Amino acid sequence: MSGYHANAFTKGSPLGRYVIKRFVQMVVLFLVFFALSWIALQAIPGNSIEQQLRLNPNLPPEAITQALARRGLDKPPLEQFWLYTKAFFTGDLGVSWSRYPQPVSKLIAERLPRTVMLFSVALLFQYLIGFQAGKYLAWRRNKRGEIAITIAGVSLFTVFYPWFGLMMILLFAVKLGWVPTNGFIVEATWRGAPVSANHVMVIMFFSLLAVTAFIGLTSWASSRLDQPNRRRLVKIGAWVVGLGGFWLFWATNQYLVYAKDVAVHLVLPVSVLTMVGFAGVMLITRTSMLETMKEDFVTTARAKGLSEAMVRDRHAARTALLPVSTSLVLAVATVIDGGIITESIFGWPGMGQLLLASVVSEDIPVALAAFSFTGILALLGHFAADILYGVLDPRIRVTSQG
Amino acid sequence: MTISNEVSNDAPILDVRNVVMHYRTEKGDVSAIENVSFSLKSGESFGLVGESGCGKTSMAMALLQLQAENATFKGGEIVLNGEDMLKMNPAEVRSHRWSDISMVFQGAMNAWNPVHRVGAQIKEAMDLHIRPQLSHTESRERIASLFEMVGLDPEMMDRYPHEFSGGMRQRAIIAMALSCDPQIIIADEPTTALDVIVQDQILTELKKIQHDLGMSIIYISHDIAVIAEVTDRMGVMYAGKMVETGPTIEVFHNPKHPYAFLLLSSTPSITGPRRKLAPLEGEPPNLLDPPPGCRFHPRCPFVTDQCRTEEPPLAEIGGGHRVACWNWESVPPLSEGLRK
Repeated sequence: MSGYHANAFTKGSPLGRYVIKRFVQMVVLFLVFFALSWIALQAIPGNSIEQQLRLNPNLPPEAITQALARRGLDKPPLEQFWLYTKAFFTGDLGVSWSRYPQPVSKLIAERLPRTVMLFSVALLFQYLIGFQAGKYLAWRRNKRGEIAITIAGVSLFTVFYPWFGLMMILLFAVKLGWVPTNGFIVEATWRGAPVSANHVMVIMFFSLLAVTAFIGLTSWASSRLDQPNRRRLVKIGAWVVGLGGFWLFWATNQYLVYAKDVAVHLVLPVSVLTMVGFAGVMLITRTSMLETMKEDFVTTARAKGLSEAMVRDRHAARTALLPVSTSLVLAVATVIDGGIITESIFGWPGMGQLLLASVVSEDIPVALAAFSFTGILALLGHFAADILYGVLDPRIRVTSQG
Repeated sequence: MTISNEVSNDAPILDVRNVVMHYRTEKGDVSAIENVSFSLKSGESFGLVGESGCGKTSMAMALLQLQAENATFKGGEIVLNGEDMLKMNPAEVRSHRWSDISMVFQGAMNAWNPVHRVGAQIKEAMDLHIRPQLSHTESRERIASLFEMVGLDPEMMDRYPHEFSGGMRQRAIIAMALSCDPQIIIADEPTTALDVIVQDQILTELKKIQHDLGMSIIYISHDIAVIAEVTDRMGVMYAGKMVETGPTIEVFHNPKHPYAFLLLSSTPSITGPRRKLAPLEGEPPNLLDPPPGCRFHPRCPFVTDQCRTEEPPLAEIGGGHRVACWNWESVPPLSEGLRK
């Protein structure tokens, strides 16, 4: 009966087994995806590399055979697959066919961070705005504004997205000239720059991540402080230090001008992706909230004398978040299909464009690597969403004995 | 726990006077509570009994001002410590919830939020009502002592609701109801979802706590046996109206309203004299269009012409026993049963 822990209000229940289980599932899923990508690319009719070589009249047949043998293309398909798999998992992605002799790994390393940046920022905004909007929509049901927001949301959700993207470019970039029409950077700004654009972008990404993590973790830790009056102080302090530190970091940073260039190019694609994506989140949240609001525990929360905002946020919305976080799993999959369309419209030189170009030019090594890494990206997103779900819903976790 | 066990005077801490509450629906007004009055003294336990849909849960929710959005009060007062709750603004109502009146909900399953730890859900109420606010350590100590009081392992405060059994959840709900030292606890079907053994344990626990802490409890149940076991006074509701109130022993052994009489005749008694069980025929009326006169007259074996047109008042028949029936004198003693 005694011996309970007097401090630490909430004791960590082990997520470990749940995470390991998900991770193993993810690895198996990746192997299947990897094999299917390989088969799909093999199934493209014709043998482009051999045809290209034969078109060259200066190449003797022996040289062609040699060139094919060097790429292992003279071997039977199963052996080719085995050789490729072995090379892939030992970190050798080969050399591009269409951009010979660039190594594939260099192309991927250049493109992958750009796609991660664009989609992680867009997904973050989609979920932040969509969740808040859905929450208020459900809470203020049958009040003014509900119909307008719902119509706007559904219209944006169902609009033909490439057309919408082009219209936004026409309005904000061409007519108003507020943002660049397309691309990732303005070449002129970067002439003679001491640093690569990717490098600056990675710094931007991690500085944002660091601030978010700092504020999040400190606020979370503050709620466990023993003295009630200190909790609020620490929470406010976390915001001040976090945002102040972020400002100070960039204000004194020599790369500020370059970071601004990348940021300006991010505005339009992120806004368009957010506008198109938030409505889906909003509608899911709304439905989920309306269900949750009928639950008995919401009545319990009211009976305890909690204010309406506390009932809404701590009880109704917190529980309504569960199905919404499930939809995040599906949303990360849009990085694959949406990536190609988005990156093409906005001229964003990321994985989507690389994927498209390599498939069109039948550059098999690049296409395979692009598929694999986009797949890894989607699976990691999926994995993160799964862990998030486990953190949000204690019923999912494997409970330890004792 | 710091609750004064003294009953300083006989003034009721809760006085419900002539409350009329209707639900507005598409088909018209449903008269859910019609002119209901009762009062509760400090340290007393009062039971409300009746069939499903008779208005007892509506009444309980009205006491906390948690009625559904389509409910409107057409009259009456709910006076808590001299203040009418129906005249308070939302913030005032919230300050009285849980600190003065708390509730043990029916169906403990869904009364807990599945995503928060049980201890955290109790702490939430304490943070709101206990001044000065307790530190984490003090909160945990208080929850631990509450858990021990209701027979739960204090370690359980760090668990989630799904890790509790039905009986444990109901015990934890009782612990939460006690957390802010309320004057009144409303127990709405506190044992309905539980098996009989756990039912008995929970009722014993509630009785013991009431005895130790001296608070008032309002029990709400369709099970007249439960009410008889734990209350000092009781009221029988039918179709939104209070048809009989009085000391529990008096109402239970000597019901004078035909509905209470039939309800008790249909319930077997193990300890009492052997008698034939009589079924209670018919259904409660549609409250969209309640019958004129006495609302029980279509099902009543003692019905007269007066019952069909005139509404009987809740009249004193002696010893604090009040009955709303024109013909209460023709209702036979329970032991004789209904002669056909």
